[in-house]
Amino acid sequence: MSQIQARFFTEDKRYVVDDVPFSIPAASEVQDLSNVINKLLEAKNASHSKVDFDFLVRGQFLRTSLSTHMATEGISTEEVVEIEYVERITAPEPEECMMHDDWISSVDADAEWILTGSYDKTARIWSTEGKPAMTVAGHTDVVKDVAWVKREGLTSLLLTASLDQTVLLWEWNSERNKVKARHCCRGHAGSVDTISVDPTGTKVRLERARQKLKRQQRTPLMTLSGHSEAVSSVLWCDSEEVCSASWDHTIRIWDVDTGGMKTTLTGSKVFNCISYSPLCRRLASGSTDRHIRLWDPRTKDGSLVLLSLTSHTGWVTAVKWAPSHAHQLVSGSLDNLVKLWDTRSCKAPLYDLAAHEDKVFCVDWTESGLMLSGGADNKLYTYRYSAQQAEA
Amino acid sequence: MKKAGGKTALKRSKEEDEEQNQIFNFNRKPADEDKDDDLSDSEDSVYSGLEDSGSDSEEEEGSDDDEEEGSDDNDDKMKEKKEGEVSEEKKKHEYEHDSSDEEDIRNTVGNIPMEWYKDFPHIGYNLDGKKIYKPIRNKDELDDFLDKMENPEYWRTVHDKQTGSDVVLSDDQVELVNRLQRGQFGDVNFNECEPMVEFFSSDVMIHPVTNRPADKRSFIPSLTEKEKVSKLVHAIKMGWIKPRRVEDDGRGRYYNLWASEDSSILARHKMHLPAPKIPLPGHHESYNPPPEYLFTDEERALWEQQDPADRKLPFVPRKYSSLRQVPAFSQFIHERFERCLDLYLCPRQRKMRVNVNPEDLIPQLPKPKDLQPFPTTRSLVYRGHSGLVRSISVSPSGQWLASGSDDGSVRFWEVCSSRCMKTVQVGGAVKSVAWNPNPSVCLLAVALDSVVLILSPSLADKQVILSSERLLSAQQEGEEPAEGNGSVVWSEAEGEELNQGLRLKIQHPKAVHQVVWHAKGDYLASVMPDNTSHLQVYIHQLSRRRSQNPFSRNKGLVQCISFHPIRPYFFVATQRSIRIYNLVKQEMTKKLQTNSKWISSMAVHPGGDHVICGSYDCKLSWFDLDLSTKPYKMLRHHKKAVRGVAYHRLYPLFASASDDGSVIVCHGTVYNDLLQNPLIVPVKVLRGHVMTHDLGVLDVTFHPTQPWVFSSGADATICLFT
Repeated sequence: MSQIQARFFTEDKRYVVDDVPFSIPAASEVQDLSNVINKLLEAKNASHSKVDFDFLVRGQFLRTSLSTHMATEGISTEEVVEIEYVERITAPEPEECMMHDDWISSVDADAEWILTGSYDKTARIWSTEGKPAMTVAGHTDVVKDVAWVKREGLTSLLLTASLDQTVLLWEWNSERNKVKARHCCRGHAGSVDTISVDPTGTKVRLERARQKLKRQQRTPLMTLSGHSEAVSSVLWCDSEEVCSASWDHTIRIWDVDTGGMKTTLTGSKVFNCISYSPLCRRLASGSTDRHIRLWDPRTKDGSLVLLSLTSHTGWVTAVKWAPSHAHQLVSGSLDNLVKLWDTRSCKAPLYDLAAHEDKVFCVDWTESGLMLSGGADNKLYTYRYSAQQAEA
Repeated sequence: MKKAGGKTALKRSKEEDEEQNQIFNFNRKPADEDKDDDLSDSEDSVYSGLEDSGSDSEEEEGSDDDEEEGSDDNDDKMKEKKEGEVSEEKKKHEYEHDSSDEEDIRNTVGNIPMEWYKDFPHIGYNLDGKKIYKPIRNKDELDDFLDKMENPEYWRTVHDKQTGSDVVLSDDQVELVNRLQRGQFGDVNFNECEPMVEFFSSDVMIHPVTNRPADKRSFIPSLTEKEKVSKLVHAIKMGWIKPRRVEDDGRGRYYNLWASEDSSILARHKMHLPAPKIPLPGHHESYNPPPEYLFTDEERALWEQQDPADRKLPFVPRKYSSLRQVPAFSQFIHERFERCLDLYLCPRQRKMRVNVNPEDLIPQLPKPKDLQPFPTTRSLVYRGHSGLVRSISVSPSGQWLASGSDDGSVRFWEVCSSRCMKTVQVGGAVKSVAWNPNPSVCLLAVALDSVVLILSPSLADKQVILSSERLLSAQQEGEEPAEGNGSVVWSEAEGEELNQGLRLKIQHPKAVHQVVWHAKGDYLASVMPDNTSHLQVYIHQLSRRRSQNPFSRNKGLVQCISFHPIRPYFFVATQRSIRIYNLVKQEMTKKLQTNSKWISSMAVHPGGDHVICGSYDCKLSWFDLDLSTKPYKMLRHHKKAVRGVAYHRLYPLFASASDDGSVIVCHGTVYNDLLQNPLIVPVKVLRGHVMTHDLGVLDVTFHPTQPWVFSSGADATICLFT
C-alpha cells in the first residue's frame, strides 16, 4: 500500500484548493503534504508565497506519517480520506520578561494592562509592553489571586485576594496612576486563595479559603458550603453558575441564584485549577497527578472524563482556555514548563514553552493573543501568539 | 581287508620291479588300459550285463583271492594272472590321481623319527622285508654348497627323509605349493568368486524357487491323523480321558499371614522411623581439600577458642599430599559415640508430612495498583534549610508544614507551593517539632537543647490565632505556675522573640529529644532520655502551665512517647519494649515486646488499636494491641536503621523512613472485625533524598487529608511525595 486517495479541504478562504481526490504516498508526513498544498496553490495563484500547513484527519492532528496515523486511528485506507488543512500554528514568541521581587502567585490580563499578584504582599500593574505602571500594596500577607473587575475609561476596578483572609477592591486611575482601596471584604476563616469575577463585572466574585466559598458584593452575598477540603479554584461559568474545584477531589457547580449545588464532578486526585471555555463548553482541570482532564459540566452524573492530556511531569498548577479558540488551552506546571495544547492533538502538546527556571504558578491568555505565565523564578513571561489572529 | 592287502602286495611287487622306469610304465599304461577295457567288456558280457566296470574289477579281485584256495582251472589262473597285472596297472593309475594324504608305503617303518636309522646303513624295509639301503650319501656341506650354486634345480629339490632320496618337484607341484602357500585353492580351475545366486532375498519373486507341484497328500486328509483322533474320541467317550481339572482359586493359595494379628502391633510395624541421617562428607572432610577450606590462622584460633559445642566443624581440615599419609582419625570413637547418642536420642515421633503446595502458603496479597491512592512520585522539594532536617510536622488543616533543623531554625512552608513563609531562629539544633493537633488553635511545640518552645506561627484565621493566644495567656491572670518538681521552669518570651512568634519557654533540666501533643491539644509530653534517672518524661498542661513527671521509677532509656489518640493511654517506648500506661488509673496496662535491639520511633494508629515501631536494626514491627504483646508482623524492608514511622490519619497507609535514603509506604488496612487481621502490603519505595554523612531520611509524616507523605532528610531538604 503505497498510495492513498485523499481529498483536501479547508475552512480558510485564502487557501482553498480544488475539491478533487489526489493520490498521495502513504508514507508522506506533514511537511510533504504541506508541500503538495503549496504547489497546488502556486499553480492557482502565481503570487502565492509558501505557507506551512497542519493537517487534520477526522479531527485529529497528523503528527506521524499518514499510514501510521490511519493505522492507529483505525481509518480505512480503501476510501478517499478527507484531510482538512489549516495554517500551521506558529510557535508563541516570547515577548517580555517582567521581573518581580518575589514569586508570582497570580496573573490577570486584559487588552491593555496586566495585573499580577506576588508573594511580596503586593499586586502590580503592568502595561502589555512590560512597563511597570503601579504597585498595589496594602495586604499584610501574600497576595494569592488578582482579578480585574471592570474598566470605565481610565478608571479600573481590581481585586486582590490574600492569605491575610481579606479581599481588597481597588480603584485605579490609569492616567493619574493613583490607586485607592475601595473596600475590604472580610468573612473568610482562612486564607483566600482564589477569586473570580462575574463576566458582566457587576456582581462579584467569590473565592474561598477553607471549605467555604463566599460570594460577595462588599459584604458576602452567599456562602457556598459543601467542599470538605480546601477550595483551590473558582470561576464563573456564566452569569448563573459558579464552578469550584477543591482538594477533596471534586468539582462542584453551584447555582448562584439559589446557592445550591447543581452538579458534582468527582475525580480521583486533588484539583489545582480549572478553566472553562464558553466556546467549547468544556471544563479543563489540572491535577496533582500531572494530567489535564477535560470535563463536560452539563452531564448530570458528572464523573466522565472526556479527555486526558498527559505530558507534564509535575503538578499542573494552572490551565487556561484560549479565549478565542475552541480547541486550544495553555497549562503551567511545577515542572517549570508551560505547554500549549490543542484538544485535537491529545497525545502531545503543540508547544512546550520552557522559559521558566522554576515552578510555574499561573498562566493567562488574553483575547488579543497574549499568553502570560509567572512562577517561582520571579519572572512573568509574555508570549505573542500570532496564529490565532490569522484564524480569527 | 584281505582283498586290499592283496592288492597292495601286488602293487608293491610290481613297484619293486618297475620303480626305476615308472615313467615308462606310465607311458605304456594307456595301451594296457585299452586292452584291459576290451577284455573286461568281453568278460562282462559273459557274467552280467548290469555290472559296471568298477564292480567288474572287484569281482575279479575277489576271484583273485580265491586263487589261493586253489580253485578253478589253469585258464582261469592264466587269465587271473594277466588280469592281476592289469588291475595293478589300474591301481597305480588310481594312486597317481589320489590326492589323499595316504602315507608312503614304500618304506614300511611307519611314521617314526628317521633319526632312529641314523646309524644304520638302511633306512627301513620294503614290503618284502628287505632292507632299503640309504643312497650313497657322501654329500658334505661343500657339496651342498656347490650344488646350491650350480644346480639350477636346487631350489625345487626336496629331500625325502622316508626314502632318503632327493626329489625334484615338477612345475605343477611347485605351482601347487605356491598356491597353497598363498592360501588359495589347490585346484586351478576352481573359481572361488563365482557370482552368487540369491535365491532367498528380500525381493518377492513371482515364481516359486522350485516349480515342483504340491504333493497329492497335501490335499487329502491324513489317514493316520484320522486314526489318532478317532482313538482319542473313543477314549473320551469311554471316560478314559478326563478334561484337565480347573485350578480352584477359591481355596486361596495366598493368604494374609497377619490377618489374625493385633492391629496395634501391625501399626507399629508399619510406622517406620528412619534413623537420622548423617550429613554427607563435604570438601572439609577431604584429605586434600581445596585451599579455601583450610583454616587460616584466625579461623583456627577462633576454632580453638570456641566451645566444642559451638564449633561449626568438629575437626580442623588438613591437607595431605596423598591418602596413605593420612593418620587415623583421632576422634573416631568419640564420633561413633556421638552417632550412637544421636540414634538413641532421636525423636521417636512420626513426622506427619503434609503435602502443601508452596503457592498456597503465599498469602493472597492484592496488587499495589488496586490499593491506590498512595504516594508515588516526588512532587515538591522544600529547600531552605542549611542543616539536617530532624523533624517535620504538618498543620491539622494540611496547609502548612513546619520543620526543625540542625541549623537552629524552624521554618514554616506553604504545602502546595513549597514556599517558605516564615523562618524562626531559635538558636539551637531543633530536635523535634510538633503541631498542635487541635484545629482551633495554631501552636507549634519545638524541642531544642533543654527547652521546649511554644510558637504561635500566626498562619491561620484571626480567630484561631486569638484563641491560641488566649490559651497561652489564660494562666497569666490565674494563680502562679505550680512548681511541680521545681526542675521545670515556665517562662514567657519577651521582646524580639515575641515578634518572631515565640510565646512560651519550658525549661527542662536535661536535653529534650522529643515533644508530642495530646489529641486535644492541651497537654504535651516531652522526653529527656537518661538512663540513670527517673526524670525522663514530663507531661505539661498548657492551659495551667503545669508540669508533672508521671513515672517515679526508671524503666530504662526512654526513646519516644506518644499519646493514645482517643483513650487516656500513654505509650512509652524504651530501648527494647513499649509500655502502655493508663493515665487515669495510673498503672501500666500492657508491655509490648518488640524483639528489636533499639527502638527509634513509634506511631499509633488513629484507631488506637495498632502501633508501629521502627528500630535501628532495620526492622519495622506492627503490633495489634488486641492480639498480642508480640509483633503481629515484622517488616524488614529497609537496608539501614529506620528513623521514623508514621500513620496516615484517614487512609490505610503507613510509612517508614530509613537511613538508606528511602521511604517505604505500606498499605495497612485495619478491619473493625476483630477476627480479621490487618492486611499489610508494601506498596511503594520512595527515593528522593541524597545520602549525607551516612544519614538518609530522618523523619516522615503524612498529610492529614491527602495521601501525600512528607519526608525530611539529612540533605537539608524536605520532599513531598504525591
